[in-house]
Amino acid sequence: MTTLANIVEFRGVTKRFGDLTVIRDVTFTVPDLPGIGEFVTILGPSGCGKSTVLRLIAGLPPHHPTTEGVVHVANAPVAGPGADRGMVFQDYTSFDNRTVEDNVAFGLECRGVGARERRDQARAWIEKVGLDVTRDAHKYPSQLSGGMRQRVAIARTLILRPRIILMDEPFGALDPATRLHMQELLNKLWREAEATVFFVTHSIEEAVYLGDRVYVFSASPGTILREIAVPKSDRPPKEMLREKTFIDLVDDIRDTVDTLQSSTRAGD
Amino acid sequence: MALFALRVSPPRTVRYLLGAGAVALLVLVWWIVTLGAVETRLVSPVILPSPLEVFASFASLLNERALIESIAATLRRVLLGFGLAILVGVPVGIAAGAWRVFEAAAAPVALFGRNLPVAALIPLTILWFGIDETQKVMFIFIACVPFVYSDTVRAIASVPDRYVETSQTLGASRWQILTKVLVALALPDIYNSLRHLFGMAFGYIMLAELINASYGLGYLLMTSQRRGLSEHIILILMIIGLLAFAIDRALYFFQRGLFPYRPADE
Repeated sequence: MTTLANIVEFRGVTKRFGDLTVIRDVTFTVPDLPGIGEFVTILGPSGCGKSTVLRLIAGLPPHHPTTEGVVHVANAPVAGPGADRGMVFQDYTSFDNRTVEDNVAFGLECRGVGARERRDQARAWIEKVGLDVTRDAHKYPSQLSGGMRQRVAIARTLILRPRIILMDEPFGALDPATRLHMQELLNKLWREAEATVFFVTHSIEEAVYLGDRVYVFSASPGTILREIAVPKSDRPPKEMLREKTFIDLVDDIRDTVDTLQSSTRAGD
Repeated sequence: MALFALRVSPPRTVRYLLGAGAVALLVLVWWIVTLGAVETRLVSPVILPSPLEVFASFASLLNERALIESIAATLRRVLLGFGLAILVGVPVGIAAGAWRVFEAAAAPVALFGRNLPVAALIPLTILWFGIDETQKVMFIFIACVPFVYSDTVRAIASVPDRYVETSQTLGASRWQILTKVLVALALPDIYNSLRHLFGMAFGYIMLAELINASYGLGYLLMTSQRRGLSEHIILILMIIGLLAFAIDRALYFFQRGLFPYRPADE
């Protein structure tokens, strides 16, 4: 019996599609830190099954259910997707037929929240993610830049106050400058959201800047090679990225990742 | 030179000018080959009357041959038949696009329906529905419904999975996913398909009016041919073209108003 409640627990999780093993024997626990939450970044090369981990937490088929092992969220097995685990993807992030305001209010609409209440909350969140209510609330996604669309997606997820936020390379398609802005915004917002965040990326800088802990994944079949605790970032990435300690930590992780991955390759 | 850049559409005014120029060229050729006295023409008036003869015959088409009633009868048949095809094809298509078991079950029948030579439906519809208006409407309906159905299925099925997954993690129920995500996102595509299919339905009217019609543009064409009124035939063909164009423009206009977030193709 564990005395501490876990928000997410993977125990010996393997997922296979036919002969293809996507992840193998993944085990980790993220404790529930009420009122704080934790920022977990999952770092690994493309196609290493990082997304599979997120989709198993979200309960999205075909990755859900597992082939072997169990996935627990808040100490109960995952049965399927739900609003307690919001997900932000890299592409097709906003509903094209809805304005910014209606996109942000989507989840509330599904819950049956009244129109007035929906509008007020949506507008508050539009402001929080750095968009302008009078200028942007009635725009359609086709009129927005990629970064603005990701802001809409983040607002739409956070407005529901999920316990877990799953982010699958959300800034992967953005230009470098926008990406840094989005990292700063997310760093600010998630603390307020008091949620546990799982953030998949293949950028070491991004993983270190955003994360409280970093899971380093190996390539196929994906499994956790190492868990690294990193210090909290309290300043914009533009400043942090220039700092000696930050650069050293990134280099350090890069070396670790290289050695670990070359040794797993050799072991194949 | 820039006009011939690969895949680049010329500016709007240039487009219109080019289109109008091509029509003008056609009329010019028509005018030249039908120039002069009847005996000296390059093309005999029985085959192709001159532009002037065609336009001059408009009064007799309008007054003596009940053009307006025929246009009304044709539009009524197409609208009823195609409207029925929408009423049946779209809901069934939505269901089949969302629940693929229905699609799997319907696939052979839909394929069969799409590949059936439409003219072959005439004897069958006469057996089933007689030779009156019902037969004509049902003919259009049966000819169109497989296409309406298939396009609707395709529109629903091609909504990216991401949207469904996103809405699931935002707490949407199955019914909400169907209405707020799948149908809402597929609607512009469905509308666009219907707009194109309406053109096809209009094209079938000739076949529908082959048997026992007393009005209708197809009927007018048939009787013009029997009576050797080649100028009426050409005039009616032009009217059909103009009608189809006007209807398409109207539908396009509504499309832009209904789906402002999605640029419609012309």
